Amino acid sequence: MESAIQQSCMESIERPDRLFCDLPTETLKAFDALKSTTECQRGTVLFREGSHCKGVLLLCEGRARLSVCSETSSRLTLRIAGPGEILGLSACLAGSAHEMTAELLDSTRVALVRRKDLMEFLHDHREACMKVVSLLSQDLHRAYDRVRSVGMGRGRRSRSTRVH
Amino acid sequence: MLSPYGLDIIESCLTCKSRTERLFCDLPGPALQAFEGIKYATAYPKGAVLFVEGQAPRGIFVLCKGRVKLSICATDGKTLIVKIAEPGEVLGLSASVSGKPYELTAETIDPCQVNFVKRDDFLRFLKEQPDACFKVAEQLSEKYNTACHEVRSLGLSHSAGEKLAKLLLEWSSKNGEAAKQEPRLKLALTHEEIAQMIGTSRETVTRLFADLKKRQIVQAKGSTLIIRNKAALKLIASNN
Repeated sequence: MESAIQQSCMESIERPDRLFCDLPTETLKAFDALKSTTECQRGTVLFREGSHCKGVLLLCEGRARLSVCSETSSRLTLRIAGPGEILGLSACLAGSAHEMTAELLDSTRVALVRRKDLMEFLHDHREACMKVVSLLSQDLHRAYDRVRSVGMGRGRRSRSTRVH
Repeated sequence: MLSPYGLDIIESCLTCKSRTERLFCDLPGPALQAFEGIKYATAYPKGAVLFVEGQAPRGIFVLCKGRVKLSICATDGKTLIVKIAEPGEVLGLSASVSGKPYELTAETIDPCQVNFVKRDDFLRFLKEQPDACFKVAEQLSEKYNTACHEVRSLGLSHSAGEKLAKLLLEWSSKNGEAAKQEPRLKLALTHEEIAQMIGTSRETVTRLFADLKKRQIVQAKGSTLIIRNKAALKLIASNN
């Protein structure tokens, strides 16, 4: 990651279109105070599968590839995350290691919120907590879709097209 | 209270002894009291379907006793078991929150006690009870991690043998037998159901078990499976 810059969520024009970002003003101000924004280059690995979760990363722009790895290092893309998504949320809430690797596909701005700060913020702001529940539900639906497509593939050949 | 299915029904969450050990149920007093007012305690026999994949969400099901099979189905009728839910789990959670259809089918594999909460009541409860909202976020996180684990296992394992070995090692670790030289596990599922868990056929699972027994890696004693050679099973699981 490169030089840290501060940018306010209040200035974002895309905010109303993004599930988590569209928070009430006071809640957003509180979130703004917690986050630190960083410019990252394409190819930056935001976190690795199995690594300790330090916090969540909010993808302000650009895309990130979320993938899982086998013991033999073959990689399977779970999905491509887009602008406005929070990465590392489930590991952060469960207090577990990251269950996937996130790698940037574009050079972009990423906002980092430390785990401890996020937990306190969610306890104090019920609207944000409800948004997080909605986001996790959405993530879970996508994950089950992936289970369906991988598990119900007709054979190894159909599945292998998605293995990178 | 004894139900027709031989279950000792816990009428009130306030007096439930297992509450403190369960992620969602261990709510603070006011939230628990509010939950008590919106839940319906119900009992189901083995083989009952709680909800079906594609059905509009009616509400959530808190599993109090028994186990529930969660599966997804392909258009050709092929079934894949995603998970066996244990007591304390909340089923139908993401669909009830998002309003999207249930993404899985839930079928009891034991007589079960389930606390049902209607969707509107549940969403109101979450808005009014921040502690409960937080617990739900934690449950969803766990479910998400499990789903990712399932994708990894299905998509990156090279053979049915590898998947079966991983499943047996996972089950033995859940039973607290992992540290033992020869872990034992109760096989509560049929070969057909195990096949649906690892995305293969019943015939393949039967053949794989026969092979593991022949090589003295596992031994069956009734419904108990003893892992005789853990190192060999680990080797199969790591695709070597």
